[in-house]
Amino acid sequence: MTAVAAPTGEVAATSADRAEAMRRAARTAGRWVVALGGALVVFGAFMSVKGADPLAAYADMWTSTFTSSNSLGEILIKASPILLAALAVAIPARAGLVNVGGEGQLVIGGVAAAGVALAFGEGGAGPGGMVLMMLAAAAAGAAWAALAGALRLWVGINEAVSTLLLNYLALDLMLFLIFDSWKDPNGSGQPATPPVPVGDRLALLGDSRVHAGIIVALVAAVVAHLAVNRTTWGFRLGVVGGNPEAARRSGYRVGLLLVGAIAVGGALAGLGGFVQLAGVEFKLRQGFLAGYGYIGFLASWLARHRPLQVAVGALALAAIAVGGDSLQIDSGLPAAGVNILMALVLVAVFGWTRTTRRSRA
Amino acid sequence: MSLALEVATGAVRGGTSILFAALGETVAERAGVINLGTEGSMLCGALAAFAIGAETGSTWVGVGAAAVAGGALAALHAYLVLRRGANQLANGLVILFLGLGLTSLFGGDYVQADVALLQPWAVPGLSSIPWLGDIFFDQDPLTYLSYLAVPVCWWVLFRSRWGLLVRGAGERVEVLDTYGHPASLVQFAAVVVGGMLAGLGGAQLSVAYTGAWFENMTQGRGFIAVAVVIFASRQPFRVAAGAYLFGAALALSPALQARGVAINQFALDAIPYAVTLVVLVAFGRRQAAEAPEGLRKVFEISAGP
Repeated sequence: MTAVAAPTGEVAATSADRAEAMRRAARTAGRWVVALGGALVVFGAFMSVKGADPLAAYADMWTSTFTSSNSLGEILIKASPILLAALAVAIPARAGLVNVGGEGQLVIGGVAAAGVALAFGEGGAGPGGMVLMMLAAAAAGAAWAALAGALRLWVGINEAVSTLLLNYLALDLMLFLIFDSWKDPNGSGQPATPPVPVGDRLALLGDSRVHAGIIVALVAAVVAHLAVNRTTWGFRLGVVGGNPEAARRSGYRVGLLLVGAIAVGGALAGLGGFVQLAGVEFKLRQGFLAGYGYIGFLASWLARHRPLQVAVGALALAAIAVGGDSLQIDSGLPAAGVNILMALVLVAVFGWTRTTRRSRA
Repeated sequence: MSLALEVATGAVRGGTSILFAALGETVAERAGVINLGTEGSMLCGALAAFAIGAETGSTWVGVGAAAVAGGALAALHAYLVLRRGANQLANGLVILFLGLGLTSLFGGDYVQADVALLQPWAVPGLSSIPWLGDIFFDQDPLTYLSYLAVPVCWWVLFRSRWGLLVRGAGERVEVLDTYGHPASLVQFAAVVVGGMLAGLGGAQLSVAYTGAWFENMTQGRGFIAVAVVIFASRQPFRVAAGAYLFGAALALSPALQARGVAINQFALDAIPYAVTLVVLVAFGRRQAAEAPEGLRKVFEISAGP
């Protein structure tokens, strides 16, 4: 297993090195273009099998996704929870942990925030209440993730497995509540919790539907970038991820670092649940967040767990998800078909953009 | 029918799709490859059985197509992981998204399709055994096939030369390569066979158990299968027990509701996941030690750059 290089200073480059580096960058860029182009061609082939004209479909997708302020806003709205869930993967990944539990941590954050809103009742609680909702969401997400970290440390259960199971437990807990004591007695149709009072909702940016959650998410990405690359804590996480034995021998408290990393990640995902609740959904319902945690997981892998790049990845995957609506409206294909494009892009990136191949993951 | 009997019968009927997928995942994991895309293979199998069954008029051709479809999706996973160096866990989720997307794109036309469903068929003689007959021998043909698949899977993995190669690939790739057996080829085959079994599981779900096709109809059963494999330490007979446990939990809530017991379904839905976690807590260390070495490597530090 190759060690994760610590992100400390780089060796001064000679001009020959620089030329070589540029050649390599050009090769990498070329590989990305071919990989992404390949993904588009394959998805186009699938669309034409279904009787749609792929070129027209792509043109429609492009126009309706990137040229209307509505769908640009929709991208930012979707990207907020996706980015926060992706950071919940990226930070533990630095310490060598695989957090597949972003979805559950989002859900549990949303549940905690909704619980606080319910406790204050219809009047809302003003700005203080919103802070409380945020804290509760972050704490719940952190605890949910830390549970997986603790199980890994003390019982030896792999966190990829436990976080996956905890996703289903979180989802069942939320569904249990909305079909039970948290159900809105005045609601009609699908069971849901009572809506979050207007005073406890996130501010909107300008006169759009876009809420302040995207700012929360982007700030979180910058803070995560600084924490991972510029602090002792981040450096130590890198050492633990690269070589736990070396970390142990250097006197690091490896257990604390591991649980801390996944808990910080969980807290961010928990915030994502809050953002989704207080920014766009306003109530818990079945399908609140469907799949954003998993998309976030893929966004983090897409960007190789570097927080700033993860933000770009989250925006890109959110854009593809929004493109699904165009697929449905303009080309008459099922919106979920866009999952193919998302998967193909990731297949292309995972399989064909690496400089070095590794026989084992 | 008594509650216990109804739940036990339902456990077998509802657990069979999970059993097939979990057996497949067992084979793949024994070869050192984890496939979170099992859910995707199940979905493709479910749709293929339904759609090809409707198009050809032969449900059994559909079942064969289900195995092919599940295997094809798994082959992509194997290729990307074994040949292109993709991370197993991340790529598994990608495969799941691909399966979700493909079945939603091509499945819409078949939601109302007319398929001759596989009906339960009581085995003469055996089905009149009290209890056991009702539970095990009044089921659909694919469930009977799963009864065969469990011991066959065990025999192949632990008593045959093929199994030795598969387990060798999971433990020490280098040894296999040294003795002239290309380990990655063995792993590739194991993952594809795993996907074929998951496809059969999907087929049982659509053309036998549910009798319908709809988008995302597996609803997490593929992930449950992965959980079952871990629960069962990759032992085929224990996998069967685990699959039926999940099946029982799924069967319990409709059975209780039919008797007028007001119960929140989601509390019951959570039980199998909680049980799996508890089992992992109780036997976690032992199971970690029993895992194939190759798989342990995946899990140790899998989040490389």
